[in-house]
Amino acid sequence: MSTLTGPSRVPSSAPDTRTVWVRYLRPRPRRSSLLDIVTISVAAVLVLAAVFGPLIAPDIDRSSITEALQAPSFAHLFGTDQQGRDIFWRVVVGARYTLTSAVIIVVGYALLGVLIATLATTGPRWTNEMLTRFIDLGIAFPSLVFALGVAAALGPSLPTACIAMVVTGWPMTARLLQGIMKETLALPFVEAATVLGASPLRLMAHHLLPNSLPPLWIKWTGDIGNTALVLGALSFIGAGAQPPLPEWGAMVAASQEVAMTAWWTILFPGLAIVVTTTTFGLLGDMLHARMDPSRSRTRRRHGE
Amino acid sequence: MSELLEVRDLCISVVANDGARTLLVDTVSFSIDAGERVALVGESGSGKSLTARALLGLDRQMELDGSIRFKGTELVGMPERELRKIRGSGIGMVFQDPLSALNPLMTIGDQVTAPLRAAGVSRHAAWERARRTLEELGVGDAESRMHAYPHQFSGGMRQRVVIAIALISEPELLVADEPTTALDVRVQAQVLRLLAEIADARGLAVLFITHDVGVVGELARRVEVMYAGTTVERGSVEAFFRSPAHPYTRGLLSAVPRLDDDSRLLSMAGAPPAPASRPSGCVFSPRCPYATERCRDDRPALHLTAARAEVACHYSPVEAEVPA
Amino acid sequence: MITVSHLHKRFRGHGRTPVIALDDVSLTVGRGDAVGLVGESGSGKSTLLRCLMRLERPDEGSIEYAGQDVARLHGRGLVAYRRGVQMVFQDPMGSLNPMMSVGSIVAEGLRIHNRRRGSRARTARVGELLELVGLNPDHADRHPAAFSGGQRQRIAIARALAVEPDVLVCDEPVSALDVSVQAQILNLLQDMRSTLGLSLLFIAHDLAVVRYLCEDIYVLKQGRVVEHASREDLFRAPAHEYTRQLLAALPSHAGLRPVNQYALPPQQKLES
Repeated sequence: MSTLTGPSRVPSSAPDTRTVWVRYLRPRPRRSSLLDIVTISVAAVLVLAAVFGPLIAPDIDRSSITEALQAPSFAHLFGTDQQGRDIFWRVVVGARYTLTSAVIIVVGYALLGVLIATLATTGPRWTNEMLTRFIDLGIAFPSLVFALGVAAALGPSLPTACIAMVVTGWPMTARLLQGIMKETLALPFVEAATVLGASPLRLMAHHLLPNSLPPLWIKWTGDIGNTALVLGALSFIGAGAQPPLPEWGAMVAASQEVAMTAWWTILFPGLAIVVTTTTFGLLGDMLHARMDPSRSRTRRRHGE
Repeated sequence: MSELLEVRDLCISVVANDGARTLLVDTVSFSIDAGERVALVGESGSGKSLTARALLGLDRQMELDGSIRFKGTELVGMPERELRKIRGSGIGMVFQDPLSALNPLMTIGDQVTAPLRAAGVSRHAAWERARRTLEELGVGDAESRMHAYPHQFSGGMRQRVVIAIALISEPELLVADEPTTALDVRVQAQVLRLLAEIADARGLAVLFITHDVGVVGELARRVEVMYAGTTVERGSVEAFFRSPAHPYTRGLLSAVPRLDDDSRLLSMAGAPPAPASRPSGCVFSPRCPYATERCRDDRPALHLTAARAEVACHYSPVEAEVPA
Repeated sequence: MITVSHLHKRFRGHGRTPVIALDDVSLTVGRGDAVGLVGESGSGKSTLLRCLMRLERPDEGSIEYAGQDVARLHGRGLVAYRRGVQMVFQDPMGSLNPMMSVGSIVAEGLRIHNRRRGSRARTARVGELLELVGLNPDHADRHPAAFSGGQRQRIAIARALAVEPDVLVCDEPVSALDVSVQAQILNLLQDMRSTLGLSLLFIAHDLAVVRYLCEDIYVLKQGRVVEHASREDLFRAPAHEYTRQLLAALPSHAGLRPVNQYALPPQQKLES
């Protein structure tokens, strides 16, 4: 019996020895479009603003009535608000609040959703039934109304808005993951692992999750953007971040009265929300395009 | 002798995003006369399916060089709308998997009559022709079956429907791409017998693509053996089974389990080369136990053997045909 | 080693009529035997397999292994069974986890059953197994996508052999492979059987393949065993009509042996 010397497959490709997680992000041989470059650049700017903004910004809470409601100029790139605070720096610092909160929320409900979906999939039939109904209930529940309720109960603030969004966000993740895992369960290699004697824990950790999560990475990335939008909305209606926090939604809310004349007080924070939402949505799309498996599952003849 | 189909020096390449061209099928030539039945045999990566699909212009993203003449008309470079006229009425195709070749949402009747309806035939006339064709193919009670959906049929029945669709416009050449691979053994035998009968009855020429060596003899009179994108041997079915000339063909036949022989199956070492790394000499030389320097440097052309077969090998065949 | 007795299994079909998958099926795989199971689609062979591998529960009947009823095993007993009876699947693409390296795939059984302690011992064993099945141990880091179908089946065989089973159940392991690759895998299985003393239960739809590998053959039709005979008897004088039909359906040239064989000494060849 000769030792075969190597893979020969049409078309031949370099063997992929990197870990599971790096493979997700492996760049495919696809020329990056201008949109991709712009998206990544903007995302980078947002992250930099979130990380370094508060460190380099001058005191954003310092009010100076004499400088109130000034139009954008070299001194104040985005103008000043009713209290004479520089809007540019408030928007920059606000990035930290918005992005961090959005990320925390998404991570929070992602973990919760994965946990519940895992329990539903590996547990006995009755657990599955019960949890599925529970997930259905969660999906049907109106998230914004719930957030308002939580705000009423705990007092409106950014943290309470975050809690509310985590509690209403996990059902979607759980539902999606449950569906995907159901399909993955039927794949031959999962059966092969069962036949090898793998425990449910091992099945979940090594086989089910790694093969079921890819679509969720895409969803979660896009979700960061949507979450930023909803956070802004909550703050706008007063159920989220409260002034003087430079959260973009709160900034828009606070500027409503003077918006007609001092357009810059609403435009820039609003634009920040829009840009963030769009950018992360596009990032999700890019991830989708890059992760799209080109290997199909059709039955074919296989040669050596 | 009128040649229905003449393929000359056909080359099929695929061009990647960055412009790199990979040759998948390399200078393949063969011809089929009216009413003749030819089998195109090869394993994965041999290019047999690509060649067959090229006859119908199915893979538009591939680049074709060379010539494919059907009844004298050149098919290479023909615009899509002209090709559409030839598909169905000139050349019909039977695909491999009957389940995915049929639209699950359309009735059998609608699918079989579709080519006729597209050509302007009235619904009544088309339906009648479809019924007759299905009955010819052994679908009993065709009239009522035509209102059923594919999932209500068994695999063998579905394949008959696929064949009916291919035959409904009365083509002169039928291209069957692994038509029985997805079927059970007994159904496979039935379908092959059926194809042979239909071909005889209609004077149909058949190009039968398969990897299954054993099945070749059921339908074809002549065999073309492809390996790594080129033709390595051609000849009659008898010559193919009794005295295969090319080392690859011999290896292939020795790898098939037999009912009358208990000796160990011979498996050729190695694997077919990827298209991008095919040797410039004989494509089989890396795996051939008899390969010499000459084989590696110089690609052999097809030449005639004593058994009136053609083989692309510098040294073959070397022993005389031994009577059984 | 394995005794299947009077197995019955019913599924609820699409309509109200239940589908009888297994109807009083009995078979035996002895130590070192190579048993073939032949059937077309709908014969129940997949269901039988799933019952054997404890992926399904039969409605009636028993499966005994080492004197114990397989259906009643759980915990340690089940794990021991899974070590003793392993499986090779039909689909070379789907039966390997695309996200795991080939080395991890082969080592998984070692991990689960604690057959080798320590990663170095495991790596060494994986290397041995890969060589045993004809693959390069240096490629253990690669992922299944980098391998061809035949190579993947070898990996699947290595994975099954890692736990040193007594019985290897093969579910149409070569149906999805090219002819020349089929021969390689069949020879591999034959070699494994002789060097390791494995028992084989080989399921296929191709009678010629079953004949090559197995001495004892069962023919399944619509959930019932219609014939059980030795290789010689079955092919020389098939008892049941269905078996005769299967034999008749084999391509006529399957019997025709090419006159000049492949492996003649090279010196004789290069004269013209």
